[in-house]
Amino acid sequence: MLLLLGAISVPLTLLWDYSWESTIGIDRPWNPPHSANYLAVLLAAVGALRMIAPVTRVGVGGVVLGRARAPLGAWLALWGALAFVAALLFDRWWQASYGLAAGIWHPPQLAKGLAYFAVVTGAWLALVERQRDTRGALAAAVAAGAVLAMIFVVTAPQSFANRQHSAVFYKLGCALYPVVLAAQALAGRLRAPAAAAALAYLALCASLVWLLPLFPATPQAGPVYNALTHMLPPPFPLLLVVPALAFDALARYSSAKVRGGAWTAALLAGTAFFALFLATQWWFSAFLLSPAAYSWLFAGGGRHWPFFLRLEPAARTVFWDFMSPGLDVTAAFISALVAVASARAGIWLGSALRAGGRA
Amino acid sequence: MRALWLALALVCLAAPGASAHIGSPNVFFDGVAGPHRVRVVIRPPQSFPGFAQADVRVEDADVTRITLQPELLDATAAAQAPLAEAARIAGQAELWGASFWLLRRGSYAIEIRLESGRGGGRLAVPLQAAALARPEMPPALGVTLLALGSLLIAGLVWLAGASGGRVAAAVTAALSFAAVYGGNYRWRQMDREFANALAKPLPVDTALERDGAQNLLALVPPGDAPLASAWDSLVSDHGKLMHMFLVREPDLDAFAHLHPVRRDARRFEGLLPPLPGGTYQLYGEVTHEDGTSETLVSRVNLPPPSAAALQAFTGPDGEIVCLSPASAVPLSSERPTALDYDDSWHLGVSDPARGVTAPLMGGGRMELQTDGALVADRDTSLRFRAYGPDGAPLPLEPYMGMHGHAALRRSDGTVFTHLHPSGSVSMAAAEILARRDGATVSPMPVASASAREVEFPYAFPRAGDYRVWVQVRSSGRVLTGVFDVRVSERS
Repeated sequence: MLLLLGAISVPLTLLWDYSWESTIGIDRPWNPPHSANYLAVLLAAVGALRMIAPVTRVGVGGVVLGRARAPLGAWLALWGALAFVAALLFDRWWQASYGLAAGIWHPPQLAKGLAYFAVVTGAWLALVERQRDTRGALAAAVAAGAVLAMIFVVTAPQSFANRQHSAVFYKLGCALYPVVLAAQALAGRLRAPAAAAALAYLALCASLVWLLPLFPATPQAGPVYNALTHMLPPPFPLLLVVPALAFDALARYSSAKVRGGAWTAALLAGTAFFALFLATQWWFSAFLLSPAAYSWLFAGGGRHWPFFLRLEPAARTVFWDFMSPGLDVTAAFISALVAVASARAGIWLGSALRAGGRA
Repeated sequence: MRALWLALALVCLAAPGASAHIGSPNVFFDGVAGPHRVRVVIRPPQSFPGFAQADVRVEDADVTRITLQPELLDATAAAQAPLAEAARIAGQAELWGASFWLLRRGSYAIEIRLESGRGGGRLAVPLQAAALARPEMPPALGVTLLALGSLLIAGLVWLAGASGGRVAAAVTAALSFAAVYGGNYRWRQMDREFANALAKPLPVDTALERDGAQNLLALVPPGDAPLASAWDSLVSDHGKLMHMFLVREPDLDAFAHLHPVRRDARRFEGLLPPLPGGTYQLYGEVTHEDGTSETLVSRVNLPPPSAAALQAFTGPDGEIVCLSPASAVPLSSERPTALDYDDSWHLGVSDPARGVTAPLMGGGRMELQTDGALVADRDTSLRFRAYGPDGAPLPLEPYMGMHGHAALRRSDGTVFTHLHPSGSVSMAAAEILARRDGATVSPMPVASASAREVEFPYAFPRAGDYRVWVQVRSSGRVLTGVFDVRVSERS
């Protein structure tokens, strides 16, 4: 449970950190969201360490290091925790030396991102191997939801509702989400494992959308372009549950053919993902930008912006075609193609995990 | 993921920064806020976002509250920053300290508000916050990261091999090295971009023209300079569009403080006094109408002065008179035909044997007083008095609106700054900020009466040997005292 708790806390604390920086502004190394984030990685590492003793005792399965034996995912999570320590050391120096003046995606930031993914993905892989009962299967689905949430965190600048008609949003979404959903659909032991993961992702991210704005806070740095009185809600999560249901259906009804016709399955899954993801987000983002979404539930309506963001009122509720080109036929074709490749990778991973789980 | 979210707001911040002082980023300001005299030191952060530290010294015991508010000068009027509360420093009743978060580099007005029994007051201090130096990683951290990185790559390759076989291990190893190479490439690329955007003095091209017996020096932006470096948006700083300093290398034994005239948006011209021949380092200080100040730099080779020019500046006793004999040149003049009334220069070095005493032209002397030894990064006051040949104190008359000007340079040239009794900020920038809110906010009043002493607030940014040139005016003559001071490391 520690591993799962750590894994879901990583994206949660990162979203909290986003809210903190967007509302309060002052970004000390040991502020509450940063401290919670370090604790999340630590929890996951302790959870992964605790998996070593029982597997070593049994002496069967897992990956062997010296005399220790643990699931691949546990080792990966431990590797991620160590990578996080190195990335954090590097990042502290970088922030004190270059700040943000040298650019946003700097090497320690990329290293930190990699470390987070290793921790969360490691937890998911480890928990997929331990689906002995419904509780275990649920834990695996929630861990898969944490991986989806991590993807949402790192692609957030491209995933604002205002950018959900752009080509880059669909290309990124089609590249990153299907691999997790397809693998979870095949390796999960619930009736609808991918949909369960998508729901877990929705619940994780939406819980912060609902909870954070309950806490009063004001900017402590300037210039303040958007006055705030409470913590800023993160952007509303994507409705991945719709394409996830299709993945579950495909996995269920074509499971016999998956081995022989993995590319066919990938073609079906990728195309379905693109079509359903497009249909859902195209309309849902329009709703999120409309006055109807200006509520506690959706935190939309173009009303919630970081204090430092200088944005014309007219730009708040429209799609930002000026920032990134809109989705056209070519971009749609590329997105669908990328979704097929991603789904194929997910089918390979899911099959491997399922085989590992049976062993 | 802190940086991730700032991406949308900060993408436009890659423009190179400008620097008003070389190697001396801290701001010193002596001014008045209502009935209170206030001395302010602001230390901007080394990287952005980051904390700036401010010390506010007010001797009046009735001050009950001090707040600071950094205002980004290109922000909209509605975009206010929150107030930072200053707190009294324990054990020093007159000293208040505050820190405030600066999200990004840029030109700021730091609004300081005082509350007191006498109605309090306000003051605006200009701050140009910019990164100054290219970072270097401490060797210990580098070794630690290298060790951790090697361990991580080895671990990943082992993990891939143990779970996927040799091919997986080989692919992972190749991918890891590609990632390290890519990361290193990106780091170099970002470091180059960072270095290009550092606040640094702007190089200018110079041309020397002979005009009869005199030399005319022209300054133009370099051919590849962006249009933004044009000089049509300059404002005058205590009456001059440019304060130009010439210092002879390598002995720093000739010094001139001159005021070239602007011919057009990309050209300044000024007559040169009869300085000895040699290579000179040129520093030109200008302030733009938005309150940003810049230092222009160049190196100039000057020929020895002609006999006629020397003759014109030689007094009856054979001493070179380092003083413009001409009357003020109107700024609108098409071409300078005479030196500016406030132009001055000095030949000779300090006398180490005399320590804090410097000889003055005409037989007098100038003395330096400080509060104890000079220590790097410690707020101090450099106080100077001038005495005539008879030993009597000389009354100091206003020289360009104040009782003195000081220029100081570290022996290796990494620090050069121009100080006034009101601190290190451009007076033009301070006046621009003062005008924004009407006449309620003002820097130190312009000097009008004579004084016995001139005082400069400063903190030397680094330990080392510095040469200080101090200029005062007495009986209509500009007198320059030269001092060598040693600044020790802060313990």
